[in-house]
Amino acid sequence: MTPTPTWLEIARGPLFRFALVVVVVGLARLVFLAVWGMVAALRHAGDRNLPYAQVFKDTLVWLFPIHRLHHARPAYSYASFIFHVGIILGMLFLQNHLDLLRSTVGVSWPALPRSLLDIFTLATITTGFYLLLHRLYIRSARVLSKAMDYILLLLLLNIFVSGYIAGRPWNPIPYDGLMLFHTINGLVLIILIPFTKIAHCVLFPLVRLASEIAWHLTPHGGADVVRTLYGTEGRKI
Amino acid sequence: MQQNKPPTPVRLYHVEPTSPRKNRVDDFLTAFAAILRHSNYRFLLDLYARTSTKCGRCAVACQVYQASGDPRDVPCYRTNLLLDIYRRHFTPTGWLQSRFSGSRPLTEETIDEMAELFYRCTACRRCKIECPLGIDHGLMARLGRYILSEIGIAPKGLVVSVREQLEGKTGNTSAIPLVALIDNLEFLAEEIEEDKGVAVQFPVDQQNAEYIFFPAVSDYLMEADTLMGNAAVLHAANISWTIGSQYFDGINYGLFFNDWILERIIKKMIAEARRLNAEKILVGECGHAARTAKQFISTFGGKDAPPVVSVLEVTAQAIQQGKIQLDPDAIQERVTYHDPCNIARSGWLVKQPRQILRSFIKNFVEMQPNGTANYCCGGGGGLAALDETHDFRMQVVGKTKAEQVRATGADIIATPCANCKKQLREIADYYKLPVQVVGVHDLVFRAIKL
Repeated sequence: MTPTPTWLEIARGPLFRFALVVVVVGLARLVFLAVWGMVAALRHAGDRNLPYAQVFKDTLVWLFPIHRLHHARPAYSYASFIFHVGIILGMLFLQNHLDLLRSTVGVSWPALPRSLLDIFTLATITTGFYLLLHRLYIRSARVLSKAMDYILLLLLLNIFVSGYIAGRPWNPIPYDGLMLFHTINGLVLIILIPFTKIAHCVLFPLVRLASEIAWHLTPHGGADVVRTLYGTEGRKI
Repeated sequence: MQQNKPPTPVRLYHVEPTSPRKNRVDDFLTAFAAILRHSNYRFLLDLYARTSTKCGRCAVACQVYQASGDPRDVPCYRTNLLLDIYRRHFTPTGWLQSRFSGSRPLTEETIDEMAELFYRCTACRRCKIECPLGIDHGLMARLGRYILSEIGIAPKGLVVSVREQLEGKTGNTSAIPLVALIDNLEFLAEEIEEDKGVAVQFPVDQQNAEYIFFPAVSDYLMEADTLMGNAAVLHAANISWTIGSQYFDGINYGLFFNDWILERIIKKMIAEARRLNAEKILVGECGHAARTAKQFISTFGGKDAPPVVSVLEVTAQAIQQGKIQLDPDAIQERVTYHDPCNIARSGWLVKQPRQILRSFIKNFVEMQPNGTANYCCGGGGGLAALDETHDFRMQVVGKTKAEQVRATGADIIATPCANCKKQLREIADYYKLPVQVVGVHDLVFRAIKL
């Protein structure tokens, strides 16, 4: 008789497979829609010349923004950068995560040393709390923030804090329970990626190019708008 | 259910009275839908709506927010006003998402807020430099203005000008009759001859010239030295050029608020260039005129659209090729240069004006920051043309520029833009800065040897 799987095994098994399908299909859909939109916009544009080299250069600069961080709000910018690096490394280069990935889809890559990831995890937790406080207490950030901005940040902090504590010998909480909490939070986050602003993790390289394309207007577009709104008689200015 | 409340008057600028709309919310959404249907903006809104992380880093780059401290002036806040409406009303999952993310439905109050905030932005696009994602908040402000203009909310000063330009008798924003223009050109030619002892023509309706010239038309009334400098360079460099009698205005306020108007003005320029069989379009010292021509002549002119060249490029090249001689002792004062956002932010015209000025000015000093990272004069996005915005332009958006100018200790600010010049002169007056504001070619005219 097959033993009944534990909740943790279910989370790491079928639920993780489901989350992977959602995130891969969801992000692939978003990238497809973005590229499709850009191609269609260029097809309609009266002028298709784009400063590709400059856009590529600017995108690279912001992908590795070391030289830009001190320009504006240095503390916030460095915190945000460390936070992002910590998330990427923690999610994609922890041995346990890679083991789970290999057992699920048969794909893996070299992991980073646990001690190094522990440092990054602590840095991510620290900077994550800083970013949360920044959103709460800096007026210009608070006015921009909505419930989902806080929810996503708290979800990420939950994941990192629970993951870090679970791996400590001094962990006072039962391992399986804490790991289940960590895994469920992680799965929720993975599923949310294509439906929230975290989608910028894959759409980031396209935004700058899209901004350039949007300035390439459609010939007769303005006249068509007037015709749609005011009929063939049009309108006077 | 929508309430039919009377609209709150826009505080920043005057709007022409129109017949009252029964439901501005529906009208706004209808106009938004029409623009999405016939334009290239939908894919961008989709992308921005999915990626905008609202980090607020743009706030540091925005001189309006820096001066006002009002969080509604944070560029990302403005952009998200529009994105929220887009998500809520134009995306299939918008309504569902709004339950979780708090996206606001459109209300009369939001329309009033947008009418105010989209014009507090000078569309200088400095914030784009500091946005890690590359979101163009200037473009979003412009799109917001475009939708508003289709429901009758646009600054009266801009609307009246383009009405005269496109539907009026004179066909230009300053309402200069052709006869007055010709008189003015003759006067300018006489002035040059008196000053330099050489007859320099302002050719009109010459067929097959290399360049057809479109300055900001207001220069004909207010910036005689700039035009004389332009003509002197073209004469000394032996370049064939002409002014078109049927259309001679480079100004295109469509850039600030409406695609339909933008395209119609561009097409008038192209038609005049084709009528006279001019090889290229030469744009005078005007930031937005130069940008609109450079960016949109190829968009609306088809494959054989004439190339667009700035008068700054022509002069810089003439200096480089030794075609014109400038007296290095003509200008003794300390000179600084203000980069108009529309020509500098993209990096198009940053080196050329400096090549010109440094070639004959001994005491040249840069503002900090400058070039692509410059601060707006405070009159961008059409604000300089709206006198009722004076207090806002001086007390809020022009404050940073005043500090920048003061720090240079310059006696003269040179800037190749009619709107920037107007704004900077008002700033100099308001902040009691002992500085003269001129065009780049005003100084060239003082130094050129004919």
